[in-house]
Amino acid sequence: MQGPRIISVEANSASFFSRNEFLIRRLHSLTGLVPVGAYMCIHLITNASTLGGAPMFQKNVDLIHSLGPALPIVEWSFIFLPLIFHAVVGVAIIRSGNPNLSSYHYVGNVRYVLQRATAWIALAFIAWHVFHMHGWFHNEWWLENVANEDLGGHRFDPKHAASTAALALEAPIRKLAYFIGVVSCVFHFANGLWTMGITWGVWTTAAAQKRANWICGAVGIVMTVVGLSALVGVAKTDVVAAQAYEDTKLQMKQEEEQRVAAENKRLSSLTAEERLAERKAREANH
Amino acid sequence: MIQSTSHDSSAHDTHHAPPAQFTVRVLRQDVPGGSSYWERHTVKRENDMNVISVLQRIAANAETADGEKTTPVAWDCNCLEEVCGACTMVVNGKVRQACSALVDKLLVDNPEEIELRPMTKFPVVRDLMVSRARLFRALQKVKAWIPVDGYYDMGSGPRVSAESQEQAYPLSQCMSCGCCLEACPQYTKIELKQEEGETAEAFQARQKEAYDRGFVGAHAISQVMLFNKHPTGAMNAGERLDALTAEGGIQACGNAQNCVAVCPKEIPLTTSIGRAGRATTVHVIKKFFDR
Amino acid sequence: MAKERVLVVGGGLAGLAATMQLAEQGVAVDLMSLTPVKRSHSVCAQGGINSVNDLTRQQGDNEYLHFDDTVYGGDFLQHQPPVKEMTEWGPKIIDLMDRLGVPFNRTPEGYRDQRRFGGTLFKRTAFAGATTGQQLLYALDEQVRRWETAGSVKKYEFWDFLGPILDENGVCRGAVAQDLVTMEIRTFAADAVIVATGGCGLIFGRSTMSMACTGSAVARCFRAGAKYGNGEFIQVHPTAIPGADKLRLMSESARGEGGRVWVPRIPQDPRPPKQIPEAERYYFLEERYPKYKNLVPRDIATREIFSICTEDGLSVEKDRLCVYLDLTHLPRESLNKLGGILEIYEKFQGVDPREVPMKIFPAVHYSMGGLWVDYERTPAGGLKLGAIKNQVTNIPGLYAIGECDYQYHGANRLGANSLLSCIFSGLIVAPTVQTWIASLKGKLAADQPAALYDAAKKRHQDEHNAMLKRPGGGENPYLIHQELGNIMTKAATVVRHNDALRDAYKQVQALEARAAKCSLSDTGNWTNQNVVFTKALWDMFPIAKCILKGALQRDECRGAHYKPEFSMPGIDASASPEERRRLAEEWVDTFDANTKKWLKSTVASLGPDNEPVITYEDVDTSLITPRPRLYGLVGADIIEEVWKQRQAAKSAAPKDTNGSHSEKSAAAAASAS
Ligand SMILES: Cc1cc2nc3c(=O)[nH]c(=O)nc-3n(C[C@H](O)[C@H](O)[C@H](O)COP(=O)(O)OP(=O)(O)OC[C@H]3O[C@@H](n4cnc5c(N)ncnc54)[C@H](O)[C@@H]3O)c2cc1C
Ligand code: HEM
Ligand code: SF4
Ligand code: SF4
Ligand code: FES
Repeated sequence: MQGPRIISVEANSASFFSRNEFLIRRLHSLTGLVPVGAYMCIHLITNASTLGGAPMFQKNVDLIHSLGPALPIVEWSFIFLPLIFHAVVGVAIIRSGNPNLSSYHYVGNVRYVLQRATAWIALAFIAWHVFHMHGWFHNEWWLENVANEDLGGHRFDPKHAASTAALALEAPIRKLAYFIGVVSCVFHFANGLWTMGITWGVWTTAAAQKRANWICGAVGIVMTVVGLSALVGVAKTDVVAAQAYEDTKLQMKQEEEQRVAAENKRLSSLTAEERLAERKAREANH
Repeated sequence: MIQSTSHDSSAHDTHHAPPAQFTVRVLRQDVPGGSSYWERHTVKRENDMNVISVLQRIAANAETADGEKTTPVAWDCNCLEEVCGACTMVVNGKVRQACSALVDKLLVDNPEEIELRPMTKFPVVRDLMVSRARLFRALQKVKAWIPVDGYYDMGSGPRVSAESQEQAYPLSQCMSCGCCLEACPQYTKIELKQEEGETAEAFQARQKEAYDRGFVGAHAISQVMLFNKHPTGAMNAGERLDALTAEGGIQACGNAQNCVAVCPKEIPLTTSIGRAGRATTVHVIKKFFDR
Repeated sequence: MAKERVLVVGGGLAGLAATMQLAEQGVAVDLMSLTPVKRSHSVCAQGGINSVNDLTRQQGDNEYLHFDDTVYGGDFLQHQPPVKEMTEWGPKIIDLMDRLGVPFNRTPEGYRDQRRFGGTLFKRTAFAGATTGQQLLYALDEQVRRWETAGSVKKYEFWDFLGPILDENGVCRGAVAQDLVTMEIRTFAADAVIVATGGCGLIFGRSTMSMACTGSAVARCFRAGAKYGNGEFIQVHPTAIPGADKLRLMSESARGEGGRVWVPRIPQDPRPPKQIPEAERYYFLEERYPKYKNLVPRDIATREIFSICTEDGLSVEKDRLCVYLDLTHLPRESLNKLGGILEIYEKFQGVDPREVPMKIFPAVHYSMGGLWVDYERTPAGGLKLGAIKNQVTNIPGLYAIGECDYQYHGANRLGANSLLSCIFSGLIVAPTVQTWIASLKGKLAADQPAALYDAAKKRHQDEHNAMLKRPGGGENPYLIHQELGNIMTKAATVVRHNDALRDAYKQVQALEARAAKCSLSDTGNWTNQNVVFTKALWDMFPIAKCILKGALQRDECRGAHYKPEFSMPGIDASASPEERRRLAEEWVDTFDANTKKWLKSTVASLGPDNEPVITYEDVDTSLITPRPRLYGLVGADIIEEVWKQRQAAKSAAPKDTNGSHSEKSAAAAASAS
């Protein structure tokens, strides 16, 4: 038996949440798809590129990091804040419900419960995953004293994408955690897509909901395959070779940067006439 | 009617012989907010028995399985043919109408015992009787009626296509039984206690307010779609959608779809929920830009 | 200044219609009901609601024919003006219900679809799936909820009406009632009390009616001095599914859509029904009534099904009387129209009636009798709307509407006419109550001395307390109810015999004495259903006795009241034409004499010894002359011929008395009420 939940009126009297319940719930639903869901898909696809070998993965990671100083701003406004919003509201939603799977074994009810169970897993997984890979905060002291090797934080180095990823997930237990995390997130996303269609009124009739179920199911399966192929990718990664490639690439990049820097420096030391002369000489060369 | 001779169950001969008697376990509660306790009764099996006739025998007998005197179990019923919605209770763990719960079928699942409990989402009045005031309050909240000008003769109503009648009719069969609410994981119990010195009116007002905060439930969402589809009802569609987007509105639904699975009238509740989802989406956006 | 308040007791179709109408007129209403009003018994009505409509009109139908069908079906026992008015309001009422959102079935072009019901040749019945009553009730419930939300109606659901409160002049000033949850007894001051508490099927133990149909509210008015009319007329529905707790109705629409009633020609033929060849099936209704076939009026269908099982011994089963109602030959589309009622059968019997013929038998279904009410007629023979006398019982200020009044259905109710009469009486009582309140000239209930209410409350509270204090070990109210049901069902349903009725009356008296010694298994003061039931049981006795006594005294056959001893046999077809003519003349003479003697309302009131006293009252038949019902009678042709000749002769002669059938002279006739 479920015990009575006695709601006291005074306690939650017209709180912000209750006044804007509809809006908040719709925002929650929306954030599930964009940006959080969309990001997750891109992220999983990027990760899957480990299958294509260290160079390809590194290239994709570099592409993301080419944003440079803008990256944290993008990350926070399009990933972390929406995710935190989705998670905080999500926890409130979970707590507002009262699952009754033991009495009603309907498929819909199972999915309702799974949606919530995977939400918890996603929460735990994402928290761990971000800590594990990035260490949460890019503060020197924090990285040294908390998110360090002992605690298994900040294991991912974008400059050594494939090798650090492979190393980070080397332990079978970590692979398992990743497996559960990814499958849960994908289920949560795909099933969420389906409920979202009802919430927003995209599919309304039972028949339409059934059809949508196939589509969301397909999305789920594809994303599961994509998400898990990253696991295969890191498992197949030869860490030493990858590191060697990354080092070389990094070195080349550094050299190139140095060269460019030196060149820039040299150019900036020239007078205007000298620069003009140089350009003319280059044009003549062509 | 007419003959009181007992007849044999030639219609039920597909199963092995049902037991001559069976036990009924009832979760009883003497007063609102009081503690509940199980009581067992032994009932002789008869042909064509349903849970209502079981409760009638228990009332007539007023004795527990151990032969102790007891009071009749309180319960609610009226039509006995699953159209009034009164007799909803939890039978063998599942919410349903007691009048359409046939004993022989229940005994096939469990030959020893039938378990009866009151609904868990509504305050117990006594034993199997609960107060469904919140359910009816939701119908007020969503303005589930056609706001006609008056009752003088103004000619016939609007023409309605057979197709829209076929859509409206199933929704209009909702008998406010509460099954959809009992099974809904998002519909949680609200039970207030009358404070000392609080007048009945003040208490009722406080209850209404609390009910309005809680989830309206699938039945009320479905009623909104029923009235918003009616040509006259559509004139006030916005007011009903306002109610559905207020606190406790459609957003509280978590799409578990238990409601549609337990509705005895097989009302396409989740279709209504989807349609209401679409209507509220459009309504809120329109309202935002029309401001 | 105090504001006028009206108490409506009962929230079925009638009570809700009255409430809604009063609220619109600005009167504050207290609405009381045993169950939440949305769960009232009216939800059970399946078939539909009658009225003339544009379609039938073009086939020659009109309000007058609906009126004629109604009084003919009721064997002319109802006063005609109210019925005439009701049939004239029919189309307006359907229109109103349509506007209120009732999802009536539609034709492909979007008009309301109609079906044909028993007792008429026109497709006059509008319907909403197989739950017309539910749909109509919900539409009214919604309107009342609207008024409730606005504050003009206050609902008292889970309240039991204990009786009216009369002042020293015998005027009703309110009522006493009990909260079924807290058991609180309180009074309701009201300028008018409108009783709309439905039928009394529970007196017969099991019936097609709901559990709230105890008739207790009516009995409490009767005990307070209200008169009870036509009690003995109890309609037994021909087709019900026999069950342990209730006899569930199989609507007439099953026959309306083409269902056929039959029994195997070989008694208790053991073969499954579908394997019995056509030639070995006896479609007894079709053979005996070639014109109406399976759609003969209810009383006839009932009697035929009853007698084919009892007298002819052709019941399908041996120890449970029943016949087949067969739909299996019908195309799926017509079965779909019946969806709901077929589901009921399947749900409660576990057999699919689309595949296997249903087994059915008659069951008590409707009480034509009820509280006696008055009316005021217009010179043209209609009802004077808003007149102070309409729907009022013999107690001023106490009104009765719906199934619990006796006014509209005479000796037998036509299918799908009851929903109409309920809504109609509910709508018209509102202006009448307004007139009544105006006539009080400000002397409202709110200004009555408190002592009046205190005394009434104390009396009921004392009674209640005494009941709880009864010593244990006495009679069991539930078992007494069963016994009462058995007695009533045996003696006072399809076929009635005087000795059996006399006997039953004595048994009921004895049972009543025992009921006074009932002890309660629950003596608490919280949601005590035991004491509520015992009170209701106690109040079944006066009505049971009205039914039995009325039936005993009425030595004739009329409508649902059938005494074989007094039935009028047909005319031997093999006799010579002259002989047949002579017999027909005789037949008509007997008919006329019987009409003179028995075409009267039975009016019961409570005698000093607590037994009903019966008097008879003339019926206003000034609009349509009573004529014999000759459905299926052997020799009907010749009787009809004689009858018509005599009528022609009568109308040729100058006339001024009651019994004229021309509308013009009817206008001159005085109201017989
Ligand atoms: C199975 C079935 C099918 C039918 N089908 C049709 C049909 O197709 N067409 C048709 O025209 N007619 C039909 N009828 C008849 C018709 O349904 C009823 O006559 C009609 O609904 C009666 O309505 P009402 O408003 O008078 O009373 P009800 O609907 O019976 O309501 C009575 C009200 O009074 C209240 N009440 C009773 N006692 C008390 C008390 N002591 N204190 C307080 N409140 C009390 C109840 O709670 C209830 O609210 C059918 C009847 C049955 C049984
Ligand atoms: C990978 C990260 C996540 C993604 C991609 C994601 C995506 C989604 C989507 C698309 C929905 C559907 C919204 C709807 O039904 O309208 C949803 C619903 C939900 N999410 Fe998430 N989510 C994620 C993480 C989380 C987390 C961390 C939580 C909280 C712990 C959470 C809690 C919920 C809940 C409770 C719902 C159900 C909402 C409802 O039924 O109304 N989600 N999510
Ligand atoms: S779909 Fe919504 S209303 Fe229906 S059971 Fe699920 S949460 Fe409740
Ligand atoms: S929607 Fe269905 S389950 Fe819910 S109250 Fe109505 S009839 Fe009952
Ligand atoms: S008693 Fe009406 S639904 Fe069961």
